[in-house]
Amino acid sequence: METLRFLLKKLIEDRVALLGALLILLLIFTAIAAPFLATFPEDIAEFHPPNRLIAPDGTYWFGTDRMGSDIYSRILFGARITITIAIIAIGVSVIIGVPIGLVAGYYHTWFSDLLMRTSDIFLAVPQIVLAIAIAQTLGPSIENIILALSATYWPFWTRLVYAETRSIQKETFIEANIALGASPIRVMFMHVLPNISSSIIVRTTIGMGGTILTAATLGFLGLGAPPPSPEWGRMIAESREFLPEAWWYATAPGLAIFLVVMGFNLFGDGLRDILDPRIRRSVRHDE
Amino acid sequence: MRLLVLIINRFLWFFPTILGLMVITFTISHVIPADPVAFVAGDNATNEQIEALRAQLGLDQPMHIQLFHYIINLARGDFGVSLYTLRPISEDLASRLPATMELTIVSVLVSTLIGVPLGVISAIRRNSFLDHVVRIFTVSGLAIASFWFAILLQLFFAMELDWTPLQGRTSGWGPEHVTGFFLVDSLLSWDLSELRAATLHLILPVTTLAFPAMATIVRFTRAGVLNAMNSNYVLYEEAMGFPKRVIIWKYILRNALIGTITQIGLIFGILIAGAVVVEAVFDWPGLGYYAVQSIIQSDYNAIMGFTFVTGVLFIIVNLLVDIAQVFIDPRET
Repeated sequence: METLRFLLKKLIEDRVALLGALLILLLIFTAIAAPFLATFPEDIAEFHPPNRLIAPDGTYWFGTDRMGSDIYSRILFGARITITIAIIAIGVSVIIGVPIGLVAGYYHTWFSDLLMRTSDIFLAVPQIVLAIAIAQTLGPSIENIILALSATYWPFWTRLVYAETRSIQKETFIEANIALGASPIRVMFMHVLPNISSSIIVRTTIGMGGTILTAATLGFLGLGAPPPSPEWGRMIAESREFLPEAWWYATAPGLAIFLVVMGFNLFGDGLRDILDPRIRRSVRHDE
Repeated sequence: MRLLVLIINRFLWFFPTILGLMVITFTISHVIPADPVAFVAGDNATNEQIEALRAQLGLDQPMHIQLFHYIINLARGDFGVSLYTLRPISEDLASRLPATMELTIVSVLVSTLIGVPLGVISAIRRNSFLDHVVRIFTVSGLAIASFWFAILLQLFFAMELDWTPLQGRTSGWGPEHVTGFFLVDSLLSWDLSELRAATLHLILPVTTLAFPAMATIVRFTRAGVLNAMNSNYVLYEEAMGFPKRVIIWKYILRNALIGTITQIGLIFGILIAGAVVVEAVFDWPGLGYYAVQSIIQSDYNAIMGFTFVTGVLFIIVNLLVDIAQVFIDPRET
């Protein structure tokens, strides 16, 4: 409780991080309340060809798309897709990556080397390239995007947890626990993990931004949910043949992606400054 | 001696890493649910024709035999044939490599030449107005979707203002082929109209690619300079009365740049990843454009070839950076 209050106080002082937190809250709120906020909620599945490509006005706040659907309403529902992909893909990556990193960091055998080298091979290919290969072979769908992202993002957590475990291992309290006869599992999960959790939280927050960006890119390349899904990346891809006349078509989804990724990056940077003063300011999320 | 062991160690891991990459691409390409053979054969093919094609492509053999042949073939530079055009993939990739390399190299140069000075200045004038502007700039560079940024650039500079071409590498036939790099080739053949066309066509794709890379470089340089400014040797030099200018540009920058140089591997990764999207938007006839075409045509052989080549390029760059790091900054190892 005390830690939480300290965190909140620090967060309110850091206005930039606060802005990030607000953007994230806005995304979550939008995703939940989409049916109530949307002016044309039925436009997710319905087409109105007579209304196609209308510029933004009082009725259609962000204009309409090639099918005559309201872009504002579709953006709101797109938030659901974005947040679902990001949470599940990152969740799976953490669940796979963290235990592997713990085991590889805790034991000093050939098996540790093998685990780390395997994760290095995954890191040896740019994430988006590997994700394209996986998503393409599995076929375009939200589930496959999540699978592709999880399969390519877990090594980031393995690397981080491995390094942190190795460095914390030399601490007296860990050695004392081992001397007292604590089992390796107990030491790893009860003593090492809680002490490196702040790095994992920071990494996860910034990772959300990167994952959303990659997911949108896959959607843009046509590997995401098939139409008429209101996926932001796909909406931008659809807009291309109607440029420059329908300038509004790509504007709103692009801004949505930008603000959400920005939110996670700013919030992650702020968290890092508070929780992990050793490292200053993040570098690009997919390092 | 320790350095030598380290370098040899890095080299020894090169081949297992490549082998692991082969296993990954093999695994991905052989668990596909859709039947690529039926796709290539077309709707009217008989079962016998499909089976014959399957045998021709070697897809009727047991998995471990297929993996073995796959690795042997890849090691020989044979990536198989495109399922769409039936042309050898290695030839397709080789002919598109220069376009991507030209785009990537120019982007690295542009992002470094702008990013390093910006990073130094914003570190020296920490918390000034300029520092805040640069920060907004870098934060945006890391958050913007490059395909969206590319489309915005096209919309304004090509469609509305008509300052730059919309897409492609050149408006003519391209300069006489020597290296495949249009900038170099047009200079070699002294074809100034081609040089002008090649430069104009590079502006928007390079801007798109260099923006996130530059943001990364600015952050690294800024952090490196700030770090160096607080170190003991700088305090010592200040106490000895060295002029501030000399301290900053000679001692601080040299140490700060070590961090930036070792990030070239990372930046190269950002650029290769970005190139897929940027080439797709600008119809830039490189590896990324080829990959996107292959996605549309469900040509999984070609995609695996692209994945493998990109992976190998990336591994080589990282190996070079690792080795360079051992020499530049032995403290890090």
